[in-house]
Amino acid sequence: MSDQVPRILLVEDDLPLARGMAENLRAETYTVDIVHDGQTGLERASAGDYDMLVLDVMLPRLSGLELCASLRQQGVNTPVLFLTARGDPHDKVRGLEAGGDDYLTKPFNLDEFLLRVRAILRRWEWYRASVASASALNFGGNQVDFRSFRARAWDGREHELTEKEVMILKVLAERPGEVIGRDDLLERVWGQEVYPSTRTIDNFILRLRKLFEREQQTPKHFITVRGVGYRFDSEGTAS
Amino acid sequence: MTTPLPSETGRVVRFTMIGLLAFSVLQVCWWLVDQSHYAAGTTNMVRALYSADLMAARRLQVAGVPADEISGYFPHVVPDTEGRLMIAPAATDQLEADRGAHVTQYTWESGFFLLVLAGSIGVLWRGLREEREVRRQQDNFLALVSHQFKTPLASLRLSAETLVKRQPPPDYTRQLSKRMIEDVVRLERMVTKILDSARLERGRVEFQKTRFDLADTAAQIVAQLEETARERGVKLINRLTTPIEIDADSIAVDTVLRNLLENAIAASAENKGEVTLSAAPVADGIAVTVSDTGVGFVPSDARRLFEKFHRLDTGDRQSHGGTGLGLFIVARIMHFEKGRAEAYSGGPGQGATFTVTWPVTTGAAHP
Repeated sequence: MSDQVPRILLVEDDLPLARGMAENLRAETYTVDIVHDGQTGLERASAGDYDMLVLDVMLPRLSGLELCASLRQQGVNTPVLFLTARGDPHDKVRGLEAGGDDYLTKPFNLDEFLLRVRAILRRWEWYRASVASASALNFGGNQVDFRSFRARAWDGREHELTEKEVMILKVLAERPGEVIGRDDLLERVWGQEVYPSTRTIDNFILRLRKLFEREQQTPKHFITVRGVGYRFDSEGTAS
Repeated sequence: MTTPLPSETGRVVRFTMIGLLAFSVLQVCWWLVDQSHYAAGTTNMVRALYSADLMAARRLQVAGVPADEISGYFPHVVPDTEGRLMIAPAATDQLEADRGAHVTQYTWESGFFLLVLAGSIGVLWRGLREEREVRRQQDNFLALVSHQFKTPLASLRLSAETLVKRQPPPDYTRQLSKRMIEDVVRLERMVTKILDSARLERGRVEFQKTRFDLADTAAQIVAQLEETARERGVKLINRLTTPIEIDADSIAVDTVLRNLLENAIAASAENKGEVTLSAAPVADGIAVTVSDTGVGFVPSDARRLFEKFHRLDTGDRQSHGGTGLGLFIVARIMHFEKGRAEAYSGGPGQGATFTVTWPVTTGAAHP
């Protein structure tokens, strides 16, 4: 993506709204394709090389949430910005659980929409560039492949990682031995605006410990620095 | 939408009532058991008294008191064939009969009360279920209406903000302005639909019959919907072109045809299908038919389609942009017009045909 114009697939069944969004995205120099139902959206997103998807939640034939979940199951990790008319936190959580990266409630502010698109593309760009320079991580008998989102743990078990899990691993592995604040992790992986609480990071770290630590109660690789954040120790020498 | 939501207090009262009823059922059961024990205890006590009386009577007999006199003192003590005193079998039988009658009386009374209580619980339970269903429909309605309102609002806001942010050339400005007007019209139609359905549901409508040409009305509506159909890839065919005079409320006819056509266009957008409007005289009036090659429906749902919010029950993926009120409005208007509305489909994916029949027509000509 870095040397090309980012390609965005917009799946929105309301024609005037889809046109308005596409025109604005194109004005920002992005390449935009529009489809109006979930099933076609899934086919295009599975086949096409998109840098980002903008999905309406309520779509004919296949909902945006189902579309996103299907893509993730296929191993397509293209970032997703959900658009929805429902604004309650439960729906937001559903969207993020389905594998979404961000969530915007209709009617939205144009600048905010463009800002979020930019932020998601920037994070994805960083991840891709970072993976290009180091596509694997080995620590304490664990092996993580950042390209395939797969990992083999010290006990021989294979794991499919989520996009967020590999991004957190990436951020931590880039600066081994350094303390990385929760806010910093949030900003790099999600963007601050998405999650209301930094506790989210704690939950992801717990999951990573469960997968990769020999003893979760006394972690050697994902070390909590109380009140600040986390430190990654690839050698596992922490006490 | 018009069914009032039961208050939180109302629900608490209902649940409390059910709790009390359940407690009462247990209480009645306990009474039954208690009375059985009580009757058995009383019988045993009387038996013990009879035994004591028998002992006393035997002593009197040994003391030489005549049997007649003893029977006078203890009527339930009688001599057997050998002259030995015993408790009269009739007295024992009576005791058992009394005990049985006592238990039977309580069993019947308890059964009756339990039946009444069970009936009451059933009625309350049904009320609660209906309430839950109403609440679910209303939640769905709110969710869908909020979606239907917020989408044109989002488009409207986007166009306005684009105008401010981009300062576009005149052509694009005109295009954005036109889009904004269309969004406002969409919002206005939805508000009208919601208000119409509320009025129709309460029966607060007055229809004024006039004689007019159905083909004229059809031509106007089709012309207005043609662009929408084209945008959604749907071919709109009007076969209602020959003049047909009809005695009906012109606004009601307009609303019915518009709702049927909008519904058909939305249902056909997925497969870029066709929508055909036609009319034909039938034995009891004039029948207008809107058929489409769209998503269709399960034939057993034909009646339910005209119920309020029916579309909402089909879930997100079959949401074609309606409020779930369009066909309800059609059915209500046809009810007030003393006509009828019918739906037919061979099944999902096989298109659908909606027919509305106005009972009174004059000077009909074949279309």
